[in-house]
Amino acid sequence: MSEADARRIAEGARDRVRFEEEVLELADQVYRVARRLVNTREEADDLVQETYVRAFRSWRTYTPGTNLRAWLFRILTNLNIDRGRREQRGPDFAPLEEGDYFLYNRLEEDGGADDEERVVERLSQDAIVQALSSLPHNFRDAVVLVDIGDFSYQEAAQILDVPVGTVMSRLHRGRRLLKQDLAETVTEGAE
Amino acid sequence: MTFDPCAACEELLQPFLDREITPEERRIAEAHLGDCGYCRKRYRFEEHLRRYVRQAVDEPMPVELKERLLALRIPL
Repeated sequence: MSEADARRIAEGARDRVRFEEEVLELADQVYRVARRLVNTREEADDLVQETYVRAFRSWRTYTPGTNLRAWLFRILTNLNIDRGRREQRGPDFAPLEEGDYFLYNRLEEDGGADDEERVVERLSQDAIVQALSSLPHNFRDAVVLVDIGDFSYQEAAQILDVPVGTVMSRLHRGRRLLKQDLAETVTEGAE
Repeated sequence: MTFDPCAACEELLQPFLDREITPEERRIAEAHLGDCGYCRKRYRFEEHLRRYVRQAVDEPMPVELKERLLALRIPL
């Protein structure tokens, strides 16, 4: 082997190790999002592992200097869609009667005026987890990426491979559905 | 139809909190929020709600999973 070849191989290995380290640093974020894209801890475990297997294997398709987080989360969301959930996708147009103030209005009606922080605490953790997991998948993807994963509309669009306008409409509708669902739990609890 | 400034402000709530709003829309929302306690309350509630939802659904990654991920690295 020539000296130049040896140097090239060593550089490649170094690049790969650096890539693996950077991708592993994102593992907590990947898990946080994965956990909410699927319903059980086991599924989240599998999905995260598959994501890392795929990422480590296809590291050469990542262009250094571009958005590594978006690249990695695109693998995650594609794998999740491949896991046979495409046929269960919800419609893009779920009926929505209410605006964005709806949940607050309902809570206020229900329990009287409180400050905004206390009002929110009337919602139970279980109800929130439940409401998020019952969102139709395409809405849930958008809500989880933006609200849990902290991605911008533009990044979420890149990850999901849809136009930004689609992300916005799914996100807004998803959040409204979530709030409708939570409002129902409040009403049920009061009965 | 008459113009309802609270309904217009409600429409801006999501992009406002996502910081995905044009400077002009931000100016409109802020001007209205300065005058309107009703909308201000609902904006603050939405902010709290988002934080609350994040905390409610947060589940730390199991330590064993992290170890398994480390083991997936391709050996040199």
